[in-house]
Amino acid sequence: MNWVPLMEFVRGPLFYFAILFFIAGMAYRLVNVLALGWKKDYVPAKHNKLGGSIVAFLKGVIVWPFIPRISQTATRNPIIYFAGGLFHLGLFVTVLLGAAHILVWKSLLGFGWPSLPLPIIDWLAAIAIISLIVLFINRISNPVLKLLTRVPDYFNLLFVFMPMVTGFFLTHRLFLSYEAMFTIHVLFVDLLLIWIPLSRISHFMFYFYSKARYGAAFAQRGARP
Amino acid sequence: MFPDKNDTIVQVLEKRGVTRRDFLKLSVMLAGTLGLKYSSVGKVVRALETKSRVPVIWLEFQDCAGCTESITRSQNPTLTQLLLNDIALDYHETLMVAAGHQAESAKEAAMEKYKGEYVLVVEGSLPLANPGYCTVAGKAPIDELQKVAADAAAIIAVGNCATFGGLPKAKPNPTDAYGVMDVLTDYTVINLPGCPAIPEVMTNTIAYFLVEGSAPELDALNRPKMFYAQTLHDRCLRRGFYDAGLYAKSFNDEGYRKGYCLYKLGCKGPTTYNACASLKWNQGTSWPVQSGHPCLGCSQPNFWDGGGFYEGQGAILQKPGLAALGGAALAGIVVGGGLSVANSREKERAKHTLEQSPSDEEKEE
Repeated sequence: MNWVPLMEFVRGPLFYFAILFFIAGMAYRLVNVLALGWKKDYVPAKHNKLGGSIVAFLKGVIVWPFIPRISQTATRNPIIYFAGGLFHLGLFVTVLLGAAHILVWKSLLGFGWPSLPLPIIDWLAAIAIISLIVLFINRISNPVLKLLTRVPDYFNLLFVFMPMVTGFFLTHRLFLSYEAMFTIHVLFVDLLLIWIPLSRISHFMFYFYSKARYGAAFAQRGARP
Repeated sequence: MFPDKNDTIVQVLEKRGVTRRDFLKLSVMLAGTLGLKYSSVGKVVRALETKSRVPVIWLEFQDCAGCTESITRSQNPTLTQLLLNDIALDYHETLMVAAGHQAESAKEAAMEKYKGEYVLVVEGSLPLANPGYCTVAGKAPIDELQKVAADAAAIIAVGNCATFGGLPKAKPNPTDAYGVMDVLTDYTVINLPGCPAIPEVMTNTIAYFLVEGSAPELDALNRPKMFYAQTLHDRCLRRGFYDAGLYAKSFNDEGYRKGYCLYKLGCKGPTTYNACASLKWNQGTSWPVQSGHPCLGCSQPNFWDGGGFYEGQGAILQKPGLAALGGAALAGIVVGGGLSVANSREKERAKHTLEQSPSDEEKEE
């Protein structure tokens, strides 16, 4: 099969549509959440609200997730903590520091940065894939989690799993020819971009937003964020 | 102009003064380049002893004659000479002396004489928009191709233009150019892509046809598997640096001088199927990646439109500009804001009607 036309489609028009849909969808979601309510603030703040936001933000993004003993998730639900953490770590290191991905960033942004050697990326990608499988098994075996799970949540897992696993096959030349796997890989990345604003994967944006909001609320009440 | 049609190749060679020893050397070499086992040398010798010459009619359409230039610089002078002078090339628009009506009648004569036996080699793409783009001797290129193809024993498309449309097909494709296989849909066209095609790939495919009497095994894009089964990346001499993550980042940095992988300079090796890395160019001297330039992917379909030559395979082909991105964000904000305003108004209205509307008890009164 000649994969070139499909490859050009997923690298061209489909990506174009996907990125615009992604931007428009995320803007829509953010505005919707922001407009939920800004009530007038009658209570005087006990601490600096901006300071509280910054502290909560830094603790939530940089410090907290990497200290297992302090983070309550680590003791209460170690599977979520370790599998979830390794999944995010592997995914972001692969997407941001893999040589092939940096070329994509470079084509989009106009500048690149140094990459990590392939074997390191490869192991991190494998760890991320295994972590995602662990999270899936946890989701279908944990009774409480199973009760909370709806069909879109399985789609979340699928749309993240497919780019990762096709990318892994691609680097190892497994099952299909390079360009076939490459085409499928980019196709699923496009689908993921379209899916993110429609789903809870949009947490990547709201995580930072809610961290800041909670930090401000804590500071107002005089609590340590 | 033509040697005796019934002469076998050995007889033709003997007339040229080729000794038996040189003939056997040639046979071994031919078997080697065709990827045959050593035990198959006898088969090659027998084919050359029993078969008569394979006439080739070489047509050119929208091309640059680069593939012709390429085949005349084949690595193996004896084989090339054999192909050019003795086995093949009864009609070639660039290499023949004849011109005008003389050339046309030479073509007619070759077609008549070797009807059903000749190999048709096509170089260049075919314009479907207007035959005027490439009319030779008052004949439309498509008609001429179909006429010559009808009596051919095999059809070989050489170069990216004849196989996939090449440069003429690049956007905006003013001539509505197509490769041979898109035009001759009823035939099996052997595709030998490349810009130009590697000379040994061309000569060896013709030689394979001579020895085996059939086309070599082809892949999904009709390319002979013996030359196009692997990507350049699989055979690359810089592959070790790729695996170790050592890349040249510009054409003048330390990594480049140390011969590191050219992937970050846009090398298309991982998606390009060709024999450059093993056969090399200019009598086995070198090939682009060896000499320090990333692969352009010239043997892949639509390589002119496949992104910048220095951008790499993963580069996005259609990048939204700031205006499009801003427009999308604005659209999201407007729709989201509009819905929020509508929702809060709806809420207010509901609250209002709830306060205003008489209770059920009041209604009954």
